[in-house]
Amino acid sequence: MIPAIQATGLVKSFGDHQRALDEVSLHVESGQVLVVMGPSGSGKSTLIRTFNGLESLDEGRLEVLGIPLDADHDERQIRRIRKRVGMVFQQFNLFPHLSILDNITLAPIRVQRRPRKEAEGRAIDLLTQMGIAEQAGKYPGQLSGGQQQRVAIARALALQPEIMLFDEPTSALDPERVKEVLDAMRSLANNGMTMVVVTHEISFAREVADRVLFMDEGKVVETSSPDEFFANAREERSRRFLNQMM
Amino acid sequence: MQSGPSPFKRLKRHLLATPLDGLMSVLLLALVGWVATTTLHWLFVDADWQVVSQNLPLYAFGSYPPHQRWRPCLWIALLIGLTLLTLLGPRRGWIRKALPLVWIAMVPCGVVLLAGGLGLLPIPSHAWGGLTLTLLLTACSGALALPLGILLALGRQTSLIVIQRSCSVYIDVMRAVPLIAVLFFGQLLIPLFLPMHLEVNRVLRAVLAFALFAAAYIAEDVRGGLQAIPRTQREAAAVLGLSPKQIIQLVVLPQALRTALPALTNQAVGLLQNTSLMAILGLVELLGISRSLLANPDFIGRYLEVYVWLAGVYWLVCTAMALLARHLEHQLSPTRFATSKR
Repeated sequence: MIPAIQATGLVKSFGDHQRALDEVSLHVESGQVLVVMGPSGSGKSTLIRTFNGLESLDEGRLEVLGIPLDADHDERQIRRIRKRVGMVFQQFNLFPHLSILDNITLAPIRVQRRPRKEAEGRAIDLLTQMGIAEQAGKYPGQLSGGQQQRVAIARALALQPEIMLFDEPTSALDPERVKEVLDAMRSLANNGMTMVVVTHEISFAREVADRVLFMDEGKVVETSSPDEFFANAREERSRRFLNQMM
Repeated sequence: MQSGPSPFKRLKRHLLATPLDGLMSVLLLALVGWVATTTLHWLFVDADWQVVSQNLPLYAFGSYPPHQRWRPCLWIALLIGLTLLTLLGPRRGWIRKALPLVWIAMVPCGVVLLAGGLGLLPIPSHAWGGLTLTLLLTACSGALALPLGILLALGRQTSLIVIQRSCSVYIDVMRAVPLIAVLFFGQLLIPLFLPMHLEVNRVLRAVLAFALFAAAYIAEDVRGGLQAIPRTQREAAAVLGLSPKQIIQLVVLPQALRTALPALTNQAVGLLQNTSLMAILGLVELLGISRSLLANPDFIGRYLEVYVWLAGVYWLVCTAMALLARHLEHQLSPTRFATSKR
């Protein structure tokens, strides 16, 4: 079976100074949840953004769903991948000029060319699943952060992706709003979605992750099962990070 | 609730707090009173409004053939009706949805009504004039300049270096040259580029030159709107698989134009007022017709009456435009751009 993501020796640098990604290798099996942790500036976001071509690579081999995405940054390949990989951002990035419903149906109608009726029906289903069906007619500016992030998840799911990428989805939320977003992600994972999640939420990682990848200064420090990672991390740097977090 | 000091006491406190204040108040009130009485006296006693009242059809239609005047008349009536419908009409429903299209259709509609064709008697463009011509010049050049300006603004942002540079150079050159020079160039140069037998009429030449000029300014306003959109909006659209063209069309431009709308309103009002420069090229729009009336021995020396009247007409049209623009702004952002409250 093709691994969902297979990366070997990824290198990426911004300008001349230190590498944002330094020989990163990893793989994610289909149906797995990989949580990426690490101090800020460690390259977690850069890493997850290479998986759908938002960041180009300088070196290394990357295959997402069997589609190669190497240093040549081929636009056609990238679009093929984006149609099968959903992404949720830290700042939600909903389209402020479109209603919640239109935010969700935009890509299904314009990219997948589905009939509007069908796309809207599916959007309502997704909003119901996220517990915010009653917000369909509103605009993003009228929703709370937690609600907006759940809309963003629904928007990504509307394309029926095979992999979901989450880039610090709860970091911009008020503490009391974090749970509703994590709950939505948890149920997604329970339904077998392949997920890569950059997050600082330890309880979420412990409960949902199949593996935890710890990064520092652009390098993979260790990859372990969550039980192992949180109980006794192998590396000194991981232990120092966890001590600060807990 | 406590009632404040009586109006008289408040006035006294504002105007007569100290002897110096008192003196200033009296002097200023006297000045205001004098200006007001002089103005009113001139408006209602001294001024001879015959130069206006006898020539109302000229101000409206220029030397358009009298038996065909129903055509410009119809167009202006349609514009007024559409303005009222937009401002006072229903807030929802199919009428509201059709309005933008109807407004756009007013441009070709005006051209056909004035120029003739489609079964109407052709009227040559030198017979067009007055308010009709002013409105037609504004509408046509605006309708050409807006898409061109948007393309220029987008061109300035592309990664294709040749297109980006040429758009920048074009915008910079157009903004460095005075409008009147562009208009003269338009009158003289456009015929040079075209084959001999294809004569472009004066109105069209003026509209083209005017639109080319205004597009540069519109491009800068749109660029401001484009820059206000965070890069993350494009990223969010890109990861949904939208093509670069769809990203511009569905996500970037709708937001950019809303942000640029107040600045674009300014351009529209400026466009209307700048059409008066075409009087210098010999077009008899509002200002042009006024100048030719003033040359008429019957109305010699009636400058003040004519220009006050003109100011009033321009003010009225500009106010209507400003109201429409404010209405549009309101329509486009009921609650949508309320920053996200968490």
